[in-house]
Amino acid sequence: MLNIEALSVAAGSFHLRDVNLSVSAGECHAVIGPSGSGKSTLLNAILGVLPLGNGRILLEGADITNLPIEQRNLGYVPQQLGLFPHLTVRDNLAYSARARHLARAQYQPLIDKLVNTTGIHSLLDRRPMTLSGGERQRVGIVRALASQPRLVLLDEPFTALNESLRRELWMVMRDLQRESQLTVLLITHDLSEAYFLADRVTILLDGRVIQQGEKANVYGRPVAPEVARFLGVETLQPGRVLSVDNGLATVAVGAARLIALAQTTLPESVLISIRGEDVTLERPGGVAGSARNRLTARVIGVRAGSPLICVELDAGFPLRAFITRSACEELEIAEGTEVVALIKAPAIHLIGRCQQNLT
Amino acid sequence: MNLRRTTITAALSILLLYGGLIVSLAWFLDLSALSGAVQSERTLAAVRISLVAATLASSLAMLLAVPAAYGLSRFHFRGRELVDTILEFPIIVSPAALGAMLLIFFNNPLGEWVQENMIRFVFTFAGIVLAQFVTILGIAVRMLKTSFDEVPTELETVARTLGATPRFAFFTITLPLARHGLVAAYILTWAKALGEFGATIMVAGTMAMRTETLPIAIYMRLATADIEGTVALILVLVVIGLLALFITRKLLGRTVYA
Repeated sequence: MLNIEALSVAAGSFHLRDVNLSVSAGECHAVIGPSGSGKSTLLNAILGVLPLGNGRILLEGADITNLPIEQRNLGYVPQQLGLFPHLTVRDNLAYSARARHLARAQYQPLIDKLVNTTGIHSLLDRRPMTLSGGERQRVGIVRALASQPRLVLLDEPFTALNESLRRELWMVMRDLQRESQLTVLLITHDLSEAYFLADRVTILLDGRVIQQGEKANVYGRPVAPEVARFLGVETLQPGRVLSVDNGLATVAVGAARLIALAQTTLPESVLISIRGEDVTLERPGGVAGSARNRLTARVIGVRAGSPLICVELDAGFPLRAFITRSACEELEIAEGTEVVALIKAPAIHLIGRCQQNLT
Repeated sequence: MNLRRTTITAALSILLLYGGLIVSLAWFLDLSALSGAVQSERTLAAVRISLVAATLASSLAMLLAVPAAYGLSRFHFRGRELVDTILEFPIIVSPAALGAMLLIFFNNPLGEWVQENMIRFVFTFAGIVLAQFVTILGIAVRMLKTSFDEVPTELETVARTLGATPRFAFFTITLPLARHGLVAAYILTWAKALGEFGATIMVAGTMAMRTETLPIAIYMRLATADIEGTVALILVLVVIGLLALFITRKLLGRTVYA
C-alpha cells in the first residue's frame, strides 16, 4: 500500500536518513519516537511539503514522490486539526468535494454516514471555534475521511485531549478504521495510543528507523537499549551470559542469576529487559509455580500509579514490578518487606550490548 | 504612580494632543467661510481629485501588494531579504524626497521615453496617483504580509490534502482568513494616500482644478494667508479621514469566527 524506500530528507540542520517503511492496506501503522526524532519530518515528506533528498514514496504501487500534495489523495489530521475557522462544520466537511468540483450526490451519502457514525450531526451549522476539544477532533477526522483518501495520516491528533476523552476517541478511530478498512499512518509519541490503535509500529530515533514490526514484538523485545529506554522498559540492567543450553541462557545480573530464552546467538555482554507487568510478586514460602526465575527480593520503594502500583525491589539487582492495588494490600507491601519475584523465562528479553555504552 | 495609571494617562494624552489640535481649529472657524469653501468649485474639485486618486492609488497598490506580500510570507527566494528590507524605504525616505526621485526619473532617458510613449506623469493627474502609489506601496505590503503570516500554513496544507490547488486554497482559505488585515490595509493606505502631500506636489504640482488635491489646497490657502479657508479645508480632510478610520475600526472590531 504505502512503501517508503531509502528516504532521506533534510529539514534545517535535522536529517532523516535512509528510512524504509511499508504499510499494508487496511493496516494502522504507528510511527513512534520522542520529540525531535523526525516524525514530523517524515510526515511532511509523505505529505509532499518537504522535498526529498533521496529515496521515493510509493502509494498503491504508484510513485507519488514528485506529485503535488493535492494529487496524492491523502487524508491528513494534524495535531492542531487544521479546521477552517471561517467555515461551518458542514462546509469544512464538504471542502474536499468543493475543491474537486464534485456533485452533491457524489459526496453527501459518505458525509452523512460518517456524521452519523461519529455523532456530530448537531454540530453541522457551528463554527470550529465554538466546539469542544473532542467535538473538533471528530470533525477533523470526519473531514479527512470524507475525501475518501487512500491513506490517512494522523499527526498526534489526540494529544491535546484529557485522558478519558482521548481514550473515547481512540475507540471511535479504531472502529472507523476497522469498519472501513482504512489504511492509517499514525504519528505519535504516546506509547499507549500507538499500542491501542496500531497493528504494527516503527520506532524512529534521531532520524533513523531503529525497529519495526508487530507491536507486541516491538514493545516486548526492543532491539537496542535506546529503544528499551524510549519504550519505558522498567528494568534494564547489564548482565553476563554464563551459558546457553537448549535455547535457555543463564545470565548473571548483579548478585542474581536469571534464566532467559536465547533465541539468537548472544554476545557475552547483554542487557536484560524486563517489563514491570511481567514480574509477579508473592509472599515467601509460596507454592512453586511454572516461572523459571524465582528471586527473593526486598521492597525498597513503592510508587503510586494508575491503575497499577510500581514496586521497586532489590533482587540482587534493581527490579521493578507492576501490581494491582488489591495485590499490594494482600501482600502488605511496604518498604523493607520481603517478597518473592517470579519472572518467566520468555519475559526476560536479552539485548546484545555490542559496544553499547550503558551503565 | 502605578502602572495602570501611567499607561492610561499616556493613552489619554494622545487623545488630548490630537483632539486639542482639532478643537483649536475652532478659534479660526468661520461658518460662512466654511460654507463658501465647501461649496466652491475649486474645493469640490480638490475633494474629487483626492478621493479618486487615493482610491486608484490604494487599489493599484493592493493589486501588487497582495501577491507580493503572500510571496514574502510563504516562499523563500533569492532577494527576499532585500525586498523585505526595502519595504521600509518609503517610510525612512521623506515623501518629498520620494517625489523628487520620481521627478528625476522622468527626466532621464527612460523616464522621458515613458512620458512620451506611455503615460505623462509630470504635472498630471496620473502623477498624483503614481506619487501616492509609491508612497503607500511598502506600507501596504508590510501590513498584508503580517496578515498572511498570521494565517497558519498548516491550513493551506490541509486544504491541499483535501484536493485544493494552491490557487483554490489561497482564495478559499488564506484570503478569507486574512480579510480583516486586507480591509485594514486598504483603508489605512487609502487614508494615507488621501493625506499625501510631499511626493504629490513634487510630481504633479499645484494646478487648481487639475492636480490640486486637498492637502495641496490646504497648503495653497495657507500660503496666501487665508486662515479661515485653510481651517475649512482641514475640517473637510479631517472628516473624510476620521470616517475612514471609524469604518476600519468597525470592520476590525467584529468578533472573529465565534
